[in-house]
Amino acid sequence: MNDDLRYVYAVCRPPAAPLHADLTGVGGAPPRQLTHEGLVAVVSPVPERDFGREPLRAHLEDLRWLAETARAHQNVVAALATVTCPLPLRLATVFHDDSGVRAMLEDESERLHRILDRIDGHVEWGVKVWLGAASADGDGSGDSGSAAAASSRAPRSGRDYLRRRRAGNAAREEALARADVFARRLHGDLSRYAADARLHPVQSGPLTDAGSGRNILNSAYLVPRTWSEEFLELIGRTEGTRPGLRVEVTGPWAAYSFTDDPDAREEPHGGEGAARQDAGGTP
Amino acid sequence: MSASDGHAGPGFAEPFARREIALVDVLDRLLAGGVVITGDITLRIADVDLVRIDLKALISAVNAQVPSPWPTAGEGGGDPGGRGAEPERAIEREAS
Amino acid sequence: MKMDLEPDTVERDLVALVLTVVELLRELMERQAVRRFESGELTEDQEERVGMTLMLLEDRMTRLRERYGLRPEDLNLDLGPLGPLLPRD
Repeated sequence: MNDDLRYVYAVCRPPAAPLHADLTGVGGAPPRQLTHEGLVAVVSPVPERDFGREPLRAHLEDLRWLAETARAHQNVVAALATVTCPLPLRLATVFHDDSGVRAMLEDESERLHRILDRIDGHVEWGVKVWLGAASADGDGSGDSGSAAAASSRAPRSGRDYLRRRRAGNAAREEALARADVFARRLHGDLSRYAADARLHPVQSGPLTDAGSGRNILNSAYLVPRTWSEEFLELIGRTEGTRPGLRVEVTGPWAAYSFTDDPDAREEPHGGEGAARQDAGGTP
Repeated sequence: MSASDGHAGPGFAEPFARREIALVDVLDRLLAGGVVITGDITLRIADVDLVRIDLKALISAVNAQVPSPWPTAGEGGGDPGGRGAEPERAIEREAS
Repeated sequence: MKMDLEPDTVERDLVALVLTVVELLRELMERQAVRRFESGELTEDQEERVGMTLMLLEDRMTRLRERYGLRPEDLNLDLGPLGPLLPRD
């Protein structure tokens, strides 16, 4: 480990069990654990030609490189999550050397401990609710069978076209309203099983599957590990109650969405955790 | 591990198996989640304008506060015992 | 992400952009027409003509789209905090 930089995946509490010998991380190198006064940073050596400031900037614009790096990073965090509750770092947190990492652990010690306290014993589950894509002639979410059947023939006249459009619009509005009701209820129910919850912006963009339809809910829940099964069962019980809607669950993740400082005060600059309400009842 | 309709399967995912996790989910968490630490070489994603714009296009998640369409807890969702946090809209992104 | 500056990609991207705007106008017009249809303020003859025009317009748009290999989802603009230009569903 010569002039390589240090890529940091996550921070956790010692003693973290040794990771699988075959686990490789970013840059193909196996991660190491760096301990400093009650905190462990999980790091990999990475070459400066790729992870120095300028080359890194360039790489981040390359979706293939970005995807590969993100997956390698997530691989390591997921492995850690089986033996501890790691505090994941954002992508591309890089230091010059070990002493740089130790200095960081020293400086950030209080904040890191606070967050680790909060996430200890928990995992994150992601939940998304999708409203199915409308049928080709805009008849809404497709759960109104008769409307779909009727529109399979071409409109017979201009007035017929308008009539169908009106019906289609009404159906779509209704489907959206029902989806909204379902999502609110689901979020409320799931929040009761979670120490904390986050509503993320609805998912869209070029990485979203075209056939997914419209994202109604995109949320994350910090759930005590031992409640995960009940949490998932609750979601499972909604099946059959929500025509036209699809619920997608991802996880268990490390607590990516819950890494804000529980003690954050208002900061004038948009710092991490600023302007975010305190989560109230933490376990 | 990815699951639809709540059927996540028994136990937790075997982390060394190749899981089919959607890229958008991984990127969303790694680019917009996780602790932000200023280090000696740390490249804060938001510091790089061009990258930030591309990220916006990628995951549509790099947003200043998007107001929640729903009332905050207390009006709905019933939260007995005070467990379950007040839902909040949008992760505070670095973009500003 | 770096754009692929192949000549036919540029043309296709431009067509997608133009058709997105046209699609927006078409949807706005349709919405307006349906509203007036619902309110009963159009004569039967007007309803027929407006409806027929919109129907033909939709058909024309579909063919243009397909000629350039564009799916409905390709005709959209992400305005960031303002959401997408056209409704997603």
